[in-house]
Order: sequence, then structure tokens, then C-alpha cells
Amino acid sequence: MSARRVVVYWTAFSVILALLIVAPLVLPEFWRRFLTEILIWGLLAMSSDILIGYAGMVSFGHSAFFGLGMYGAAAALLLVKPPDLWLAILYGLIAAAGVAAFVAYFATRLRDIYFAITTLIFSQIFYVIIFTWTEVTGGENGLTFGRPALAIPGLFSVPFTSETLHWFVLAVVTASYLALRRITQSPFGMVLQSIRENEARTRAIGYPIERYKIAAVMLSGLFAGLAGVLYAIQNRFAAPDFVFFLISGEVVIFNVIGGIGTLVGPIVGAAFFLLLREGFSRFFTEYYLIPVGLIFIAMVIFMPQGLLGFMRRWLNQ
Amino acid sequence: MLDKEEAQDRGEEFWYGGKVTRRRLVGWSAASAGVLGATMLVPAPWRAAFGQAKPYRIGTLQPLSGAAAAGGKTALVGTQMAVDRINKSGGINGRPVELIVADYESKPDVGRRKAEKLVVEDKIDVHEGGFLSNVCLACMPVFEEYKIVNMIGVCLDTTITTSKCSRYTFRPFDYAPAQAVAFTPFLVGKMGKKWHIAYADYAWGQSTRDAYAEEIKKAGGQVVGTTGIPLGTADMTPFLSKITGDFDGLFGIFFGKDGVTVGNQAFDLGLTRRYKWAGDGAIAESTNLPALGRKIEGFVGINRYIPVLDAPLNTAAHKKFFEEAVARLKQIDPSGPLPDRYVQSNFEAMNALKMGMEKSGFRGREDTAKLIEALEGLEMKEGDDFPQGDKTLRKDDHQAFLREFIFDIKDGKHRIVEVVPKEKAMFAPACKFAST
Repeated sequence: MSARRVVVYWTAFSVILALLIVAPLVLPEFWRRFLTEILIWGLLAMSSDILIGYAGMVSFGHSAFFGLGMYGAAAALLLVKPPDLWLAILYGLIAAAGVAAFVAYFATRLRDIYFAITTLIFSQIFYVIIFTWTEVTGGENGLTFGRPALAIPGLFSVPFTSETLHWFVLAVVTASYLALRRITQSPFGMVLQSIRENEARTRAIGYPIERYKIAAVMLSGLFAGLAGVLYAIQNRFAAPDFVFFLISGEVVIFNVIGGIGTLVGPIVGAAFFLLLREGFSRFFTEYYLIPVGLIFIAMVIFMPQGLLGFMRRWLNQ
Repeated sequence: MLDKEEAQDRGEEFWYGGKVTRRRLVGWSAASAGVLGATMLVPAPWRAAFGQAKPYRIGTLQPLSGAAAAGGKTALVGTQMAVDRINKSGGINGRPVELIVADYESKPDVGRRKAEKLVVEDKIDVHEGGFLSNVCLACMPVFEEYKIVNMIGVCLDTTITTSKCSRYTFRPFDYAPAQAVAFTPFLVGKMGKKWHIAYADYAWGQSTRDAYAEEIKKAGGQVVGTTGIPLGTADMTPFLSKITGDFDGLFGIFFGKDGVTVGNQAFDLGLTRRYKWAGDGAIAESTNLPALGRKIEGFVGINRYIPVLDAPLNTAAHKKFFEEAVARLKQIDPSGPLPDRYVQSNFEAMNALKMGMEKSGFRGREDTAKLIEALEGLEMKEGDDFPQGDKTLRKDDHQAFLREFIFDIKDGKHRIVEVVPKEKAMFAPACKFAST
């Protein structure tokens, strides 16, 4: 990256971050909460971009990582009194990582459509377990719980407001983005991209690609689990619907809309899709998914490189 | 045959050939904005009748798309019927009702967001609706946080008025424990002592199974076995074929298309001829009857509402409700289904709200406490507002008790076999409201 590009990148990053920091102070309450939710879905989409965009592995199992992160957090918030934010994060990450390791071990032995189908099947297995194991998971009704306080042990403990929750989520998402950006630019990230471009040649060079793939799935699952934890904290409930494969499908849509292999693109895609859905639902009630679907089809046809790629081309014209 | 490079070039030319210009994008955006703006200029229907009177803003969350869309649209018919009737007869406390409908796509995350939108953006005074129990449960904390009365329209899950009850949430219709109390004496006394229960294997099916198992045992009967079948199973034969043994009756707990599946496949396997066949009324809901055909003949069920005009439902109030519901349902489904319990309970839930709002002199959210007080213990009398019959909204758990209809299916139609008065459908409260 040239020096000029670096300056432009960090300037744009700082401006967007500043706008997101200020947003809850100026936005009406509903939109404030909605923006926080967009960030959470954006983190989930970004986590899947590691697989889809960098490793070239389309996963339909992200709902399992997201949902298990959510249920892990729910377990901590229901079992530990008083509810502890950091324990919720820890439990959620452990649950998501455990599931990701399990899925990765089996699914990474397969490629392309077979990998996608295997991840989908795993997410459905977890869905059925959660849906029917009512005594533990609450079954179809899910689990409801209280929101923990924003606390650093020994320093302070204050209840979350919608502003502080937004800033907390923003901090987590920003830190996740920077970490993932660093990882994707590291030699590890380069190997993932090499696997995407030519798996056989990467293997021939001597890279143990199975291990790289397992690490990629686990990393991706970990950040998806983190998104699940944040969702649980924001909305104070966990439901099996979040483990259902349709959530994974939406995440793929976020990636396609925003632009795969960009990390920021999936966040933009999530924002665009959710805002579009929310906007149209106000005018067309139950029919709003029709224009949303038509716009998605148009985008796939006219902007296959996603919003970010389109903007880049438009600005360069 | 094109070589790979040529094909790629052609592809790139097609995809990136400058089809989306800035001018076109601006043009499309302006046209879209124009269409949306035009829809916003259409005046609300109640404006002409009420002039400048400030309307009550009542929100209703319904699944109008997604898996539960068919039921959600039916439920909305009941709500809209009640609102139109209220507005035609002078509104509530002289003020019209503006109904704000939100579709939650049958998803709890969307439901939660829409509940927040109704509460924060649309500034609703009260909420009536909710169809899927998981969405009802996900949204209840929102109504609690903003101190808004939430009158449930359809959600059946027992925990809504037991372990997860809320001071702000009311259910003006029955739940599984009450139905079990009402139905079991008939099951054990008139049909048989030994029962096998087949149920939809998820929260509602499991809690309903437990309620019936307990009541059958209390009544001196016996549950010899249970079979859980995953929700949405298209082929139930592997599960149903294992149901054998020495018992008198098979009891089914299913709803929607699962009700159709179990009805058809239990008949095909001969189970409904070998054993007495009974179950939750949702199996033989009027919307399911055409798909079940003659295979559901002889089924005995319980329901709070069945679409018949026989005694005691041969009242003028019920006839009026029935005819209007049939006409409205025909608008959304040309096959002309008869009204079901979803239409009835939403219609009556809105009228229960109206009654409470009038009784408490409700002006808006600031009077939520007064409205809760008015609704607690509310006695609803059979009539135009409550064509199903009398009901009581219990103070202890905000759960209503009402008469139940035990019916069978004869010649493809519901036939009332026995009416269980509300006093015989009572179940002890199990709710502890959180202190506010």
C-alpha cells in the first residue's frame, strides 16, 4: 500500500469511527439501537468473510457459531449471580470455539459445495438439539435473561444505557476488525488467500492446508460467537432461530451485497440490507421482502463485486 | 467453444459495461422516493369520522410473512375486525383507534426490533397481537421496559402467564393446563382409561403433553407411552408405526400442517380405527379440515372456539361475528375458510383492551398502571364484543378462563359434544410478578 493510500485509509477509518461514536448522541432512540444491532450483524458477516472472502470456503454454518455464542452467554447470565459481562463473553467464546473446533475437524476435509453442505448440516444438527432440548435450552421459546452491568472488577460497575452499550459494541467490533485486518495481512492470511486461489499448488509448496483451514474456521467461529454474545447482551434473549441455517444464508447475502474479501464490505452489506428491509417494511408491510429481493437480484447482476467494489469503480470513473 | 479467457472477457464486458450510470442511479432513487412519498399522503381511514380527535395508537405484531404467515394473516383479520367495529361505533372514550401493523417475518429478532419500533418510533399506547410464542416471549421485556400493556392475541405457551409472566402482559384466552383440566374428565370418563400421547416435540407440545399426563393421572387414568415427533416432519410414519400396545386412546398434540400430517398418516396406518382418536383442537382447526377430508371423521378435540352456529353458539352476536369473519377471510383466501380461534382471540383481545381502556379512563401511556388495574380481574360478558362467551381475566397471573368446547368431526364439520363452563376449566396460578 502506497503512503498516500495509507493516509487516505486511516483518515477515512477515523472519520467513520468518529461518526459512529457520535451517532448515539444525535440519533433517535430506535435508530440508536438499530445502529448497534447493525454493528453486531456486521461483526457476524465480517467473521464469515474470513472463510468466504479469504479462504474461499462458503460456510452455511455460521448460524451455529453465532447461536452457540448466544447460548453460552445466556448460560453465564442465568447461572452466575450477579450477571457478569466478562463471564458472559468468556462462556460465549468457549461455546462458539468448541462448536467451531468440532465442525472444523470434519468439514475442512471437504471442499467447495461439500464443505458448504457439511457446515449447513452441522448447524441444523445444533438447531434440532437446541430446539428439542427444552429443559436446558428453553426449546422453541429460547431463554430470556437480564443484561449485565458494564463493569471492570474493582474499578466501576454501571448499568448499560443504549449509548454505553453502543460504544461497547463499537469498541468490540472495531477491535475485531483491526485484529482480523492484521490477521488477513499476515503470512497466515496470505496462505488462506493462496488456498482460495489454488489449493493444490499451496499444498505442493508444503503448507499443511488442513491445519490452516481448521484454524480459519475456528477463528471465524470465534468472532461469530463474539457477535452472538453481543446480540444476547443487547437483546436479552437467545432463541433457536439464530442457530437455523437461514441466518447463515443472510450472512452470505451481507457478504455478497457488501463485497467479499474486504472485511468492511460485509459490515456495509449488513447495514444496507437491514436498513433496506426496515425502510421498505414501513411502506409495504408484509410485501416488503419483494422489493428487497428484487434489489438484491439487481445488485447481484449489476454489482457482482458488491457495494464496496462498485463504489471504488464509481469513484474511479 | 469459447476458450476460458474469451469467456471471461465477455463476462466482464457484460457485468462491468457501465450499465449502472450515476444518472440512472439518481433517476431510480428519485422514482422510488416518489412512490414512497405518494403512499404517505393517503389519509388514515378514521380521519373523516373523528376529525381532529387524537387517535389511540395501538400496535399489533403479526407474522405476515415467513413460516407462520398464513396464521398471522388470519389473526390480523380478527384484530382489524375489532378495530373497524370500534371506530364505527364511536371509538374508545370518543377517540378513534389507529392500528399500526408490523410484520415480524416469523422471526424473533425481527419481532424484537419491530416491538421496539412500535414502542419508540410509533409511540403506541398499547399493544395487541403476537402469534408465535417465542416471539411473544422475546418481545415481552420490551413492553415491560417501556411500561406498555401487551394484550396477547394468539401465543399459547404456558410460561407466558406462569414462570415468565409479566405485569404488563395479559392473555385473554385459554392455555394448555386449562384445556387439560376441562378435557380430561371426558377423556377418562367417556373414552378410555389408558392413553398414548403423540406430540409435536418442542416447547408447546412438551408442556401440553405434561399438562395432559398430569390431569389424566389425577382423573384415575394412565398414560402408557408418549411419542415426540419433530416439528414439521413431513413423513411421520416411522414414529407413528411404533405406536402399538394395549391402550384405549391415542391423544394428539399438533397444530398447523403437522395436524394435517398426523391426521392423515395416523388414519393410513389404521391407528385411528384401532384406538379412540382425540387431541388438541388445533389438529382439526377449520383451516385444516379440507386437507384432512374424511380421514379426520370421528376425531374428538377441545377448543375455545369452533365455527358452528349450534347452541350455545347460536347467538345473534356470534352469528354477526361469524358472517363478517367469513366475508373478510374470503378476501385473503378465496377458498373461503371459516373463522378459527386465531380470528376469535384477536377480535376479543382488542375488545378486552377497549373495555379496560374505557373502564380506566385511559388517556395514554401515562395511564398504564390504571389500565392494568382495570384489566386485572376483568369480567367479560358474552355479546358483540365477546361472541365466544363469558370470560374472566385472573388478577394473579393475567390469564383468562373461559368455556371450552369438546367437539367431534362429523361429515367433515365440527359438532359440539359437550360445553365445559369456565369454572370447570380453572387451573391454579403459578406466577410471581417481578416488583416494578
